[in-house]
Amino acid sequence: MSGPIQLLNNLLNNYGMPQGFIVQASFYVIAAFAVISALGVVVSRNIFHCAIFLALSLFCVAGIYLFLSAEFLAVVQVLIYVGAIVTLFLFAIMLTANIGDRSIRHTNRQVLAGGVVAIIISIFFIFVIIGEPWKKALVQARPLTLQEIGKSLMSAYALPFEVISLILLAALVGAIVIGKVRKE
Amino acid sequence: MVSILTFIVMIVVGAVVLGFIAVSAMFLIWWERKVSAHIQTRYGPMRVGWHGVLQSVADVVKLLLKENITPEGVDKPVWWLAPFFAVVPSVMVFVCIPFGNLFGINLIARDLNIGILYIMALTSICVLGIFMAGWGSNNKYSLLGGMRSAAQIVSYEVPLIISMVTAAMFAGTLSMQKIVEAQKGMWFVFQPNMALAFVIFVISATAEINRTPFDIPEAESELVAGFHTEYSGMKFAMFFLGEYTNLFIVSALAATLFLGGWQGPFLSPVLWFLIKTYGIITVLMWVRWTFPRVRVDQLMGFAWKVLTPIAFANLVVAGWVLLR
Repeated sequence: MSGPIQLLNNLLNNYGMPQGFIVQASFYVIAAFAVISALGVVVSRNIFHCAIFLALSLFCVAGIYLFLSAEFLAVVQVLIYVGAIVTLFLFAIMLTANIGDRSIRHTNRQVLAGGVVAIIISIFFIFVIIGEPWKKALVQARPLTLQEIGKSLMSAYALPFEVISLILLAALVGAIVIGKVRKE
Repeated sequence: MVSILTFIVMIVVGAVVLGFIAVSAMFLIWWERKVSAHIQTRYGPMRVGWHGVLQSVADVVKLLLKENITPEGVDKPVWWLAPFFAVVPSVMVFVCIPFGNLFGINLIARDLNIGILYIMALTSICVLGIFMAGWGSNNKYSLLGGMRSAAQIVSYEVPLIISMVTAAMFAGTLSMQKIVEAQKGMWFVFQPNMALAFVIFVISATAEINRTPFDIPEAESELVAGFHTEYSGMKFAMFFLGEYTNLFIVSALAATLFLGGWQGPFLSPVLWFLIKTYGIITVLMWVRWTFPRVRVDQLMGFAWKVLTPIAFANLVVAGWVLLR
């Protein structure tokens, strides 16, 4: 990685800034943005705002992939999630009549059951977070080249790849069948 | 201090690119007005400067000085953010557009090895800005314009990306610089597969940037001005800047992927790149002022029933040609 952030980092190191400060700081900024916008998705009362927050959150996740030197993954994340899926969400929201005028409720009748599940899951997560020793990875993962990704998708992972395509196709057909107006 | 020098160079390059984008957009607006005027046997702007070259400068000054009006009832955060979403991705695309080389230095901000993919990803975000503008304006015409635009962009993205993939297959790489170098002997457009891909690319790019004959998102006779009806002053200028930057980007992409990029005899590579790009832009303007607007159903039908199948078939044939 020799982007502007890395460069600025090396530059400031020469003037007494702690090692890797800028890289870490920018990571935390992006991570914080991802978390805040993810919160926005669930807290916001306007469904359109939710979708925009979702796009921001996914975009920040792409930024985190860049810190892991997974450029391909980052770009595909933006292309598929932000460019296609959120666009489709927004499209569906706009086509739904008057959905923007109503503010959505955050609770439904299953408050109790949902709350119990949420508490169990958070306890589980807290245990995992506490129990994990959080060792720093000693070996940095080698950034994959595009050729390697393409080759493994067509050889080692050919079957999962095809299965996923089939599932997507089935979902598409299902969506069309559900969405089709039945003529009596 | 190599590091500090590199950093300064980076900032200077960024500033130069930003300046180029602004000046290019102003030039294109003037050029569009001139082309349209001469097609309609008018003169176009004539008063400010030689043949009105400074007209756009005057317009920009006017837009900068305008009052910033926020209509009542708009969804404020969304409405405010929309112009930025429309412009910033377009500016980011310039990172991997190869402008040629000057004194042995390749004029590309960063030759990413996933260049094409990066450009596809960023151009696919532009639609968010249009959506936000259409929704945030709280105006039925804006909403309709935003929806039409979204449907159109999502549909035409498919043939656009497939035709770009064909170019990447022939070059065997996704890096923009290497795609240009792969066309050293012969421009891609002279191969039958790539010629078809080029036509598909230009048609779907015209639709992607909402230009006539595919300008139904801002059809003046039906929708006032579509998604940017409620915008004025600098925010309107941002949408305009985004629009003309996108025009430059798709033409630069067409030149790079199909017409050999900055390669050409005698003249400097930068000059060749600019000649090709502005040539394609002029053709797109010619198209805009010659053809009438298509209907919504014709537009969608054309994308899904004609362009997409042809693009797929072309991709398969290209694969066969390459693996033969």
